[in-house]
Amino acid sequence: MENTAKAVMQTRFTTLSPDQTIKEAVRILQSASKEYGRRVFGMMVIDEEDKLVGMLSMYDIFIFLRPKHIEIWGEMDDIDVAGLIENALARAATIRVGDIMTTGSISITPDTNLMMIVDIMIKKHVRRLPVLDGKEIIGIVFISDVFDYLLEKFME
Amino acid sequence: MAVVTRKNVLTGVRVRDAMRRQVVKINTNEPLDQCIRHAIKYKVNALLVTNADGHAVGVVSKTDLMGAFYAGFSLDLTIETIMVGPPVCCHPDDPLEKSLESMKSFGIHRLYVTDDDGKSVIGVLAYPDIVGLLYRLCRKCKKNLTFKKKGELPDFGEEHIRAKEVMSLSVTAHGTQEPLFDIMETLSAYRFGAVLIRDSQKLPVGVVSKTDLIIAYRHGISADMPAETIMKSPVRSCGIDDFLLKIIQQMIFSDVHRLFVQSEDSGDIVGVISLTDAALVRSGSCRACTASRFLTHRG
Repeated sequence: MENTAKAVMQTRFTTLSPDQTIKEAVRILQSASKEYGRRVFGMMVIDEEDKLVGMLSMYDIFIFLRPKHIEIWGEMDDIDVAGLIENALARAATIRVGDIMTTGSISITPDTNLMMIVDIMIKKHVRRLPVLDGKEIIGIVFISDVFDYLLEKFME
Repeated sequence: MAVVTRKNVLTGVRVRDAMRRQVVKINTNEPLDQCIRHAIKYKVNALLVTNADGHAVGVVSKTDLMGAFYAGFSLDLTIETIMVGPPVCCHPDDPLEKSLESMKSFGIHRLYVTDDDGKSVIGVLAYPDIVGLLYRLCRKCKKNLTFKKKGELPDFGEEHIRAKEVMSLSVTAHGTQEPLFDIMETLSAYRFGAVLIRDSQKLPVGVVSKTDLIIAYRHGISADMPAETIMKSPVRSCGIDDFLLKIIQQMIFSDVHRLFVQSEDSGDIVGVISLTDAALVRSGSCRACTASRFLTHRG
């Protein structure tokens, strides 16, 4: 168990459904943050059979909200487009979790070594990894927990 | 039609200056569902289809996805079934004007950019990107009086192009109770990506776009449902005398591909202006540039 996913994974977690709206998802992220006493920026998405189908994070929502031609702004300091943010948010009203979640995400097992987890997080730019035992979801590993765990070891 | 070649703002500009380097790709064996998800999330009108060897073999556009909805295809079908191929390509060093001509003659809205070996796709060139570039070039132009230093009022003179000069007068509308099927039929024959929705008093109350339709498809909404189920309100519009520059700004910064044009007298929608129209104007947004736009045949 030492130095594997088991040592750092959270076994209490909240999940999302692909049919929930983005607004509902944001509300769930907020209440989970309160419940667990830590900021929750992403969650696993599961279907009716409790199967993992994707992950939704703050990043996925940002990708959807970001105007496509935003790079032009880099050269301008006097842009003032009325209602820009309001329009982007209004567009999200009909969007569901399943529309923008990241699919094909990597999962680990309870026995995955911590250094392997660090490697995956670096290479794939992810901050949380689902822990699966066969097909069953048993936990989630957050980057902050991995960091805290390693720091503890370092300070010993 | 007599073609006179004159210099305009795009003269000397190459494809590499306007192309977008992020190309959203999908594999031939992935389901339509995944294709729609990518189109929604990355706000692209088309995806490049690659085979198992990573070679570009086709394109799937929102129009093709809408066609799949119309035909009642399952979302589990593979991309291969509906893709159109092969993609039309260009080279990063091609003159932008030549590429605009090929887009027009092929009747397509984007070209994929391949590197020297002609095999790997390194970018994509679409009308909105060209408009974005025009906007940037115009801002840098000393002759363009519009862009003053911060705090100064813009000087909109007569040389600036207005909505009424470039808008299209053919606005197609549907009623709130008409089924999505009918809207899809119109959209497949029409060059715009959206139709106007009018209520029983003929007032413009919403818009249904190809994007709205493919989202509905993914959400399992039946094509028999009335337009009002998925229409977006209010209608985003501009005034008939608004400056093209402001309209372009509004479109490129809020990810809309068209604005309906409202008459100031009646308040009714009398035209529509798209990013494609703005790209075809080519001279940017003012007459400071030699007006090659007079040469652009609008058909």
